[in-house]
Amino acid sequence: MNALPRPSTIFLAAITTLVAVLLYSPLFVPIVSSFFAISHGNVDWSSPTLSTYVALAENHDILAALRTTLIVGICTVILSVVSGTLLALYYHGRRSGRSILQFIIFLPFLMPPIISGLALLIFFREIGLERSLLTVVIGHTVFVLAIVYRTVLMRLQSMSRTLVEASYDLGATGWQTFWRIILPNLSSAMVGGAILAFALSFDETMITILVTGTQSTLPVRLWAMMRLGFSPDINALVALILMFTVLLCVLAARFLIPRQMATERS
Amino acid sequence: MSAAGSISSAERRFSLLVTVLAFALPVIFVLVPLAIFLVYSFFSVDQGTIVYTPTLGNYVRFFTDPIFLPVFWNTIVLCVSVAVICILLAYPAAYFLTTLRGRWRYALLMLLLVPLLMSYVIKIYAIRSILGLNGFLNKALVAIGILHEPSTLFVFNMNAILLTLSLLLIPFAILPIFLSLERIPQTLLRASDDLGASGLQTFLRITLPLSLPGVASAASFVFVLAIGDFLTPQMVGGISGFTFGRILYSQFGTAYNWPFGAALSVALAIVVICAILVGERSGRNRGTSL
Repeated sequence: MNALPRPSTIFLAAITTLVAVLLYSPLFVPIVSSFFAISHGNVDWSSPTLSTYVALAENHDILAALRTTLIVGICTVILSVVSGTLLALYYHGRRSGRSILQFIIFLPFLMPPIISGLALLIFFREIGLERSLLTVVIGHTVFVLAIVYRTVLMRLQSMSRTLVEASYDLGATGWQTFWRIILPNLSSAMVGGAILAFALSFDETMITILVTGTQSTLPVRLWAMMRLGFSPDINALVALILMFTVLLCVLAARFLIPRQMATERS
Repeated sequence: MSAAGSISSAERRFSLLVTVLAFALPVIFVLVPLAIFLVYSFFSVDQGTIVYTPTLGNYVRFFTDPIFLPVFWNTIVLCVSVAVICILLAYPAAYFLTTLRGRWRYALLMLLLVPLLMSYVIKIYAIRSILGLNGFLNKALVAIGILHEPSTLFVFNMNAILLTLSLLLIPFAILPIFLSLERIPQTLLRASDDLGASGLQTFLRITLPLSLPGVASAASFVFVLAIGDFLTPQMVGGISGFTFGRILYSQFGTAYNWPFGAALSVALAIVVICAILVGERSGRNRGTSL
């Protein structure tokens, strides 16, 4: 790249570094402080300790919220992957009414979460459904459906039509073709979509605050706790969650990126 | 599908069933709630119970009460500023990424996007501690000598909301700008170089105009995300940092006026739809002129 002379490259690199530092500083601070004890609001930098991690293991409130988050996440993933895949297959195969369907699916993702959340809140009240984990799962599923749907649809559209035709030529029925040709080809997109869905559900706060009953997920619990200020064990939790998130990112990238980049090149 | 026409009526019934099922989920859980929500904005509240008679009262109140319109306007200005800050930081970074080769390009892109997946609430909290009176920013400014004592400039006010939202939303600006920069054919840049243009000329007359669709969609992305947020203002805004999202949220909590909250949401939705359309439109126009 000779489009720009040297000094401007240095300038660009400097800004990029600044952006990276800005983006990572809010992640860095809690991780570092998770290894030090805090007394009277001051960090004791002299001696690293794992005491915050021990305290975390004894914080039943947080552990219960973590469990709730995982349950909600798993239910959301199952519901959104099944319905997202079916909708993508439907959209891919038919012509009438498709764009309306796609528009409706994307609505909750485009609208601010406060609007989707409030709409669901009023809806649940009108149909007499008590706020509970069920309403949270429905809210999350509606929110992440667009992502799973889009991931699967993109894979479907990049799938070669000849594979399906060959399967029919060789005498396979519709179901056989679906189970042995289409589904295996979609599986990595489905897994990638599932990981994204889980990550989004794990972090979703705004809709959850509005539609949750007495049990709260981790972000909602943290949000409530923040008004008083955190106890140090939250830093330990943050560090663990960040590690977990990085793992999810790497996994999602493994399932989604290689094929897509390959199709872009061809 | 490969079967003969004898079962075609059964097949047709099956395909109708599939269509109904495909539409059922999105319609029941997306369209119906939004429709009910819209209808709710025409109801009113009397002593804690909702009165189901249509009225325009909520909208009249929104336009006539001296509280709501100024907050609404201030929030829009705030979110436009957030979008501008995000783009000013994201554009050079995205440009830098496209100057890199091969693996590095995507590795660095990944590095800048990973913070997106990290807990939103935790980031807000951490940023608040950085911006706070005893926070890192104040300590650094005092240490450098710019400030004599820690300033309350960055905590529990509009500045705090502005900074926090910008920090949270930068990755959303980087991705669309990067994608539009990456799509610019290298041959155009080489042709410009061959024809004797300087690096700056090539940038101003080729790269910048061709990347504007990305900038437009980045701006509308960031704006929409910023204006829909009520967690950040609630956490770092304090008493003076009052935004539209907070007013909206309070109608469903402390104020318990759901119909009025619904009317405020309709106003918010209209702004969001406009922002998305403007982003889409300007993106598409530039795109086709290529």
